[in-house]
Amino acid sequence: MRELLRRIRFWFHRAEFEREMEEEMRHHLAQLEEQGMPGAAARRQFGNLTLLQEESRAMWSFAIFEQFAQDVRYALRAMAANPLFTATAVVSLALGIGANTAIYSFMDAILLRALPVQHPEQLAVAEWRGPRHMAVVKGINGTMHGDGKGGSQSPNFPFAAYQVLGSPDRGPGMPGPYSGDGRVFSTLFAYTYVQNFNVITGGEAESVAGGFVSGNYFGGLGVPPAAGRLLDDGDDRAGAPAVVALSYAYWQRRFGGSADVAGKSILINNVPFTVVGVAAPGFFGVDPQTSPALFLPIHAMPALSPEPAAEERSRFFDQHFYWIEMMGRLRPGVGIEQAQAVMRTRFHAFAAGTAASPKDAEVLPELSLEEAGSGLDSLRRQYSKPLYVLMTMVGLILAIACANLANLLLSRAAARRREIAVRLSLGASRGRVVRQMLTESVLLAVTGGVLGLGVGFAGIRFLTWLLANGREDFTLRAALDWPVLGFTFALAVAAGMVFGLAPALEATKVDFTAGLKENRLQGTSGHGGRFRFRLGPTLIVLQMAVSLLLVIGAGLFVRTLANLHAIDVGFNRENLLLVRIDGRQGGYKDAALARFYAGLLDRFREIPGVRAASASNFPLVAHYVNNASVIPFGRTPQPGDPSTLILSVDPDFLETMQIPILLGRDLKRGDLASPNVAVVNQKFASAFFGSENPVGRQFWLDKQADPLIEIVGVAKAAHYNSLQEESAPVIYIPYTQNRDRRGPMFFELRTAGPPLSAAAAVRRVVHDASSSVSISEISTQAQRIDQTIAQERTFADLGSCFAALALLIACVGLYGSMAYAVARRTGEIGIRMALGAQRAGIIWMVLREVLAIAGAGLVLGYGAARLTTRFVASFLFGMKPNDPLAIGGAIAVLLAAALAAGYLPAWRASRIDPAKALRNE
Amino acid sequence: MGSRTEIPPGTLYMLILKSIARLGPMHGYGIAQHIQQTSGDVLQVEEGSLYPALQRMLLKGWVAAEWKQSENNRRARYYRLTPEGRRQMTREVGEFERVMAAIVRVIEPA
Repeated sequence: MRELLRRIRFWFHRAEFEREMEEEMRHHLAQLEEQGMPGAAARRQFGNLTLLQEESRAMWSFAIFEQFAQDVRYALRAMAANPLFTATAVVSLALGIGANTAIYSFMDAILLRALPVQHPEQLAVAEWRGPRHMAVVKGINGTMHGDGKGGSQSPNFPFAAYQVLGSPDRGPGMPGPYSGDGRVFSTLFAYTYVQNFNVITGGEAESVAGGFVSGNYFGGLGVPPAAGRLLDDGDDRAGAPAVVALSYAYWQRRFGGSADVAGKSILINNVPFTVVGVAAPGFFGVDPQTSPALFLPIHAMPALSPEPAAEERSRFFDQHFYWIEMMGRLRPGVGIEQAQAVMRTRFHAFAAGTAASPKDAEVLPELSLEEAGSGLDSLRRQYSKPLYVLMTMVGLILAIACANLANLLLSRAAARRREIAVRLSLGASRGRVVRQMLTESVLLAVTGGVLGLGVGFAGIRFLTWLLANGREDFTLRAALDWPVLGFTFALAVAAGMVFGLAPALEATKVDFTAGLKENRLQGTSGHGGRFRFRLGPTLIVLQMAVSLLLVIGAGLFVRTLANLHAIDVGFNRENLLLVRIDGRQGGYKDAALARFYAGLLDRFREIPGVRAASASNFPLVAHYVNNASVIPFGRTPQPGDPSTLILSVDPDFLETMQIPILLGRDLKRGDLASPNVAVVNQKFASAFFGSENPVGRQFWLDKQADPLIEIVGVAKAAHYNSLQEESAPVIYIPYTQNRDRRGPMFFELRTAGPPLSAAAAVRRVVHDASSSVSISEISTQAQRIDQTIAQERTFADLGSCFAALALLIACVGLYGSMAYAVARRTGEIGIRMALGAQRAGIIWMVLREVLAIAGAGLVLGYGAARLTTRFVASFLFGMKPNDPLAIGGAIAVLLAAALAAGYLPAWRASRIDPAKALRNE
Repeated sequence: MGSRTEIPPGTLYMLILKSIARLGPMHGYGIAQHIQQTSGDVLQVEEGSLYPALQRMLLKGWVAAEWKQSENNRRARYYRLTPEGRRQMTREVGEFERVMAAIVRVIEPA
């Protein structure tokens, strides 16, 4: 303890102390000389004065810390002395670490975070796959995806299927259809997609997200109430009182978290509901992408519909209407495969039972189960594979960045061999020198890591912006992932240590004489060149290869986006404003609603700059689908009949969208009053009538009991659901005969100039027309289409950024390495020039080396690309994974970049003045 | 000075302490001289170990240092024994004699 105090006192007076020690030693030397010993001999006997001083200093002080501070200062000076190299290493590391952190943070938010429920790992969600058109599936309300093999998959089932699959045992002796050995779930609960409701609480209207759930939903998930109680089986049956459970966040926001919320009455779409309770905080349902505020019993659905009887019929009794989603909790000890086998058999039997004929039963949807511990897979389906691809890309960038750091450290160490030899011969210990070099490399890595933190933050914001793609309801919030940041940071530091330690150990092993004698003329001789000549170029070749891979990837993604943008959708997508308005939620019904919409349309058409205006129940190419089954009059339905898509439109729709009429006539205003007419598209005409003229023919929609509809015209085929899918058979019918009169309409306004410039006028018109109606969405057709190709856009944007980054980092690495090689060979080049070498010859000599490295990298990268591009095949459109244009272009870009990076050092080499170069020695 | 003998390891502190105890405050050179002369030139103190040893002893608080004029009018640092140093010396001398006696018993035929 006293010793420590003495040390601290010393630390404050160290200058004085060192002076004293020096004086003391001088005194001793002087005494020796007085005794007659010659000065030199005395000094020899005394030994290394500096070392002696240092030793005693180390004894007194906190030498480790002081030396560390010294090393840091020295390292900072060295970094400042080589700003280009330092910037390269630090910035490339920062980008590598930051990009990795950002991507991994999203990955964590999307793929890894478990649902906040009990034992999420026991949950499994049901979905089915099948060919695109099946006789037993007559209508789908919900999501449906292509399965990538020409078929479809969807999580939606008929309510009857849920009853059959999920009904519990009815007690001993009365086994349910789902008992005994087949009982694989402890519960099977159901829910629907989330939609918006007009909710009035305390006289204030608000658009709020809500979903319908089965009575055993909360029990099955194991979510406790935060207040009151949650829904149970008693709430979810026909004729039960109208009740609703709230999400915690909505309760806090709307009711201030007041405990007496249970029992309160709120108006949902003008129907009074009683609040029973609030779900636990943090619970957002089963889909991380949405966060419903209201949880309503499934049987409350008809009450919220304009036609409760029809709604009830289609929802609960139509076995061909697929609309409900199911999730189950596996019984302990039951594996998901076992459960899937049981459920698949049962669902197959159910579906076969709904087939009208043996022929219909030939193609049936096939059920499968997916793990649902992290929630619905819609998000994962959408983002997981892209995220894996992006993760791979940023991982490669980190690798390139680390290689740059390694290269920098290797060449720095090689350049310092002489300095190190001097230090060692002056008595510095090997450990001390190694420590100093390590300090430098770790400092570089740490600086890169700290900057990487900033890049990570910015990257998360950028990614959120990119993925949300203009959607305001984007609920995915990624937080900076500290473990990942720590991991990448540790990786960078480790890279710094490894690539700093290896050359440091190597360099300190020098044979003094060789090290000291080393000079510029010999330059690359001796074992000083060993690392540079083996590891250095190898690293650059690998960097080049990886860069080529990334540039090829970017090329593929950019070309895909270009292909998508070049698609002719069959209508004019430019200068088109889309406005979503729900008049029904504002209190309009039936005829009044139609009048309200017609009045709005008239007023929209009067806005200056609006050339035409129309309306439809949803926009085109925005992933909306409405299926209908069509029975042409006088023609028996055939199993091969394609299912038909339907769009309810204002008569001006085709004209506004600029979809040409090929045969017959367009819809006209008068058709709104006498509604039994339709325009069909080319595909419909050829599918049902072959080469015959369909104009004047009639068909039934869904049911033969409904009035016949007459075809008055044929329109050119236009894309309906998505940009990628060719148009299917489509019928356009006047919106007054809209089968589902739930109410919201999209208005399409064809403008003369930029569409959004009309937005203010549109808002004014709507506000003037009715104060109780608000615009729920306003965007342009081009934006809507862009949203459907968000993934491709993300890939093209990020892919290009990553490729540019990789290319930049690799080129700077190449440049640095060549510049360094030229600097080391100054003497040699000077001699060559003195002996008559031409400047062009010198340039060529350096570029040859660049080409050799780049060529090796390209060959390697090309091989890797051939092997790996097929993994991104599903992200490409209109091209093969080994698109020669993308690959050829990437090779050209890389060669050009390599030559550009190599040319400057080559040019500098050719400018070497032989006289100066040789005089330097 | 033909045959120089290195000071046996671990005994340098003891020799320094004893020298100072015998002659009172003295400087580094004096200590080295004293050890050399008293030992009849058998023990040679390396300057390279003397000064670090003195530093270490200062640090442990066995000696204290003071600048004074030396006999030939030079400024020199004089080391004197502290009570702690005296205790340490007694300890070290006792230990050394015990070990020495043991060694002598072993090597001398009875």
